Order: sequence, then C-alpha cells, then structure tokens
Amino acid sequence: MPLLEIRNLVVRYGEIEALRGVTFSVEEGQVVTLLGANGAGKSTTLRAISGLAKPTSGDILFDGKSIAGLGPEAIVRMGISHVPEGRRVFPGLTVKENIMLGASNRRASTSEISREADAMFDLFPDIRKFTNALGWTLSGGQLQMVAVARGLMAKPRLLLLDEPSLGLAPVIVQAVFKIISEIRRNTTVLLVEQNARMGLSVADYGYVLETGRIVLGGKPDELWGNEAIRAAYLGGHAKASA
Amino acid sequence: MDLALQLLFTGIGIGAVYALVALGFVLIFRATNVVNFAQGEFSMVAAYLMVVGIEAGLPYWAAFIAALLGMALLGAIFNLGVYYPLRHRTYLPVIIATIGASILLANSVLAIYGPQPQVLEGWFETPGIQVGPVYLDSQYLLIIGVTICLVIFNFWFFEKTLLGKKLQATSQDKEMASLLGISVSTMIMITFIYSAVLGGLAGILVAPVLFVSIQMGSTIALKAFAATIIGGFGDVAGAIIGGLALGVIETFGAAYISVPYKDGFAFLVLVAFLIFRPQGIFGERVAEKA
Repeated sequence: MPLLEIRNLVVRYGEIEALRGVTFSVEEGQVVTLLGANGAGKSTTLRAISGLAKPTSGDILFDGKSIAGLGPEAIVRMGISHVPEGRRVFPGLTVKENIMLGASNRRASTSEISREADAMFDLFPDIRKFTNALGWTLSGGQLQMVAVARGLMAKPRLLLLDEPSLGLAPVIVQAVFKIISEIRRNTTVLLVEQNARMGLSVADYGYVLETGRIVLGGKPDELWGNEAIRAAYLGGHAKASA
Repeated sequence: MDLALQLLFTGIGIGAVYALVALGFVLIFRATNVVNFAQGEFSMVAAYLMVVGIEAGLPYWAAFIAALLGMALLGAIFNLGVYYPLRHRTYLPVIIATIGASILLANSVLAIYGPQPQVLEGWFETPGIQVGPVYLDSQYLLIIGVTICLVIFNFWFFEKTLLGKKLQATSQDKEMASLLGISVSTMIMITFIYSAVLGGLAGILVAPVLFVSIQMGSTIALKAFAATIIGGFGDVAGAIIGGLALGVIETFGAAYISVPYKDGFAFLVLVAFLIFRPQGIFGERVAEKA
C-alpha cells in the first residue's frame, strides 16, 4: 500500500478548475517530485493534500485512510508536514521560535521541543548563528532552511516541499538539495519543483503535471530520456532556472 | 512645579486606563486584522457587573473576580457570536458586526439599569496619601500598580511562553499557523477572552474615578483608539506608551489651558499625529511585524 494515494483529484477555485482529475501515489521511503510549468497545478496538489484547498471531488488516502476535506490542523497531526511556497517564516518571531512552533502538531514539553530545535541546527548549521534573529532579517536561502527545519519538527511521515529552490542562488540551491537528500533517510518526501534538473536529481520517481492533469510519470532517467518531454517541460526550465 | 508633579501622577493614572483598553484593541487587531469597536463597551459592562456584584452584597474582591470571570465569558460569547461566523469574510462585515455588538451591549445595559449613572466605591478605605508635595490618590495608585503588573505579565506571556509565540504566529500568518497544527480558532478565542478581561479591568479600575455610565465605554474607547494611533497601530509597546502619553497630555491641557476642552486635547493630538506622523511613535516596527 502506498503511503499517499491521490485518486482522481479535482480542485476548483471558483470557476477555475486547477486540478482536473489527478491520480498518482507516493511509496513510503521515496522522494517523488512533481514537475511542470507555472499554473500546472503543482502547488494546488500540495495544498489539497495538506488541507489548505478543499477537493471538489476525488480522494486523498494517507496510509490507507481518506484525509480529503480534513482541515490542515488535523492533517499535520496525522503526520503530513507542508513547507509551503514562499517559506512563510513568521517575520516577527526568532529562528528558534519559528522552528519550535513546527512541533505544534504533537504533545511535547516546551523544554523537550527546545532541545529538539537545538538539535535541528546540526542538520542546518548555516542558520545556527541566526538562532535569535527575527524571521524578517533573514535572506531567502536562510528562510528556506528555517522553513524546512520547522517542517521537520513535526516529525512527519510525509514532507511536502513546495519550490524549495525558488529565488535562490545556485550555490544555495545545492545546499538545500543536499539537505533533502539527508532528510530522505527518515522521511518520505513529495517535492514540487520548477527546477526539473534539481528535482529529478534527488527523486526516485517523477510526475509531470500539465494544466491540472498528470501527463507522464516515470523514473528520473526515463523522464530525462524522453526527448519530447525533455524539450517541453524539463530541459527548457532546467536551463532557465538553474 | 508641585502642580506639574500632581498632574503627572493623575495623567499617568488615567493614561494607564487608556493603555489597558488600547492593548485590548491591538491584540484583537493583530489576531483578526479588525478593529473591535466594542472594546470600550467591555469596560462599561465590567463596571456595571461590578456594581451588580456589590449590590448583591459580595465583598469587593469577590465582586471583582466575578466581574472579570463575567468578562471572560463575554469575550468568548463575543468571539463566537460576532467574529467567528464572519471570519472568512473581509474586514468590513466584521467591523460592522463589532459596531452592532457595541450598540447592543450599551442598550442592553441601558434597558436593565436605566440612564442614571451609578457610583462605584474605590477599593481602598483610605482616599490617598500625601508624599511631599504630591497627593497620591489610592485609586490612581491601584490603577498604576495593576497596569504595571499587567504590562509585565503581557510581556512574559507573549515573549516567554510557547502559547504566547503561537498567538503571535497566528496573528502574523494564520494559514501557516494552521499548517503547523496550531489551532487558529483556539488562539483567536484566547485573544478575545484576554482582551475582554483587559478592557473589563480598565473599566472596573476607572469606575470609582468616573461615574459608571452607559457612555463611559465610548469615551474610553475613543481615547484608547487615539492612543493606539499615537503609539503606532498594532504595536503593543506603542499602545501602552500612547495611552500613558495621552493621559498626561489631556491632564496638563485641562489644567493649564482649558478644563471644558479636556477631551478635545486627545483628539487634537490624534489629528496632529495623523497628519504629521501617521505611523505613530513606533510605526516602523509595525511594518516589520506585518
């Protein structure tokens, strides 16, 4: 049984049909990447999984149980942590506080959470010296580290990462993806990326979304091998954003 | 000079009341992005609850605790009845709902108690103490003491506790807070209860200085609102300093310029700030926290 199974998912925003019947699955222990152009429905898929967007029809199964239509607070308690587009680090809280709040989905004492947050800096040494800096003072790459660290504090079984490379300098992108390859030892990851080259470099499996539908799925080398797909979705974007 | 010291004391005392109500304004504004126009009515209702408690024969402290518990309940009902049903709408319906609630509260009290102002005795038997040239009124001393304690508590609660951080996170980005598993509706409930108790406390404390009347709510609310503008809207420290500053300014204005225009000075300062420094004293910090 896959850890996450999306069946015929349709999401509408008013008149606009953002997802038109998306079906795919994520096996436990895998890194799966969703690729596609802007507006293809990648972020909407993640938002539906984490409960921010209500599915119009279709189903989302997590560990065999339907979670479609549940609220985000309930879903994160089940073990799905969503690091959304734009990092969304709380600007008026410190780095440490931001990371500590990542554990809000589970019962633990403040001192325990504080210790876990300190341990998180071992995985993200670059932000250790900003422990007590307010969120708004950080750069994009630092914010991304904080956002991922905060997402991991939930101790998720499934981590949803939305565009972690967006707006970052290439060297920072490398650092972020190095962390993703560390995370995957313990956590299943569903990664949304416009930077197809980076996405496929860490993934076990990839899907290509186009205007609200999955048009292709395969292992990274299969997707790279497909000339037409490479030209349309992968190569161009890889060059444009890498 | 003696007079100035005396006025400073009185000004800080009345300013502390504005500060408490202003703090309630700011906390609700930061949590919901809406100005609660019924914040002043919280003060008025609490003062009446206090009168009811004393008339029922409760000792002062018991009436005080009962009134604050009543305000906590009112804050919860207010959230469920006024804010919660409209939480997914824009700010305008919510603001109108708070204005409606304010009218409802004022007129409910009017229907029960009539237009005659009530008198609430102060907490202490001793009216005050003379320290050198300054006469320290016991009620003003109480107001200042309680406000200092509350400001310290407020700082500790929001800066040193995880719950305080969750409340801050909720006011900064509700969607992200919910993604982390923070119960946004619980956080907003806590904010309304806390703000109602703060407003109520201000009302109970100031009631022996003023009369307990239907209008006391709107007068205090207008001053407190001016205080939040002066301090920088949305800023906690700004609300407290703005409130204190306003109390001092209007007390001095009344003594040295004109007593009948006492209330006018607050609004003169408000208008001056809106023209020359609309972001308030602590304006820049608001932008950072937004």
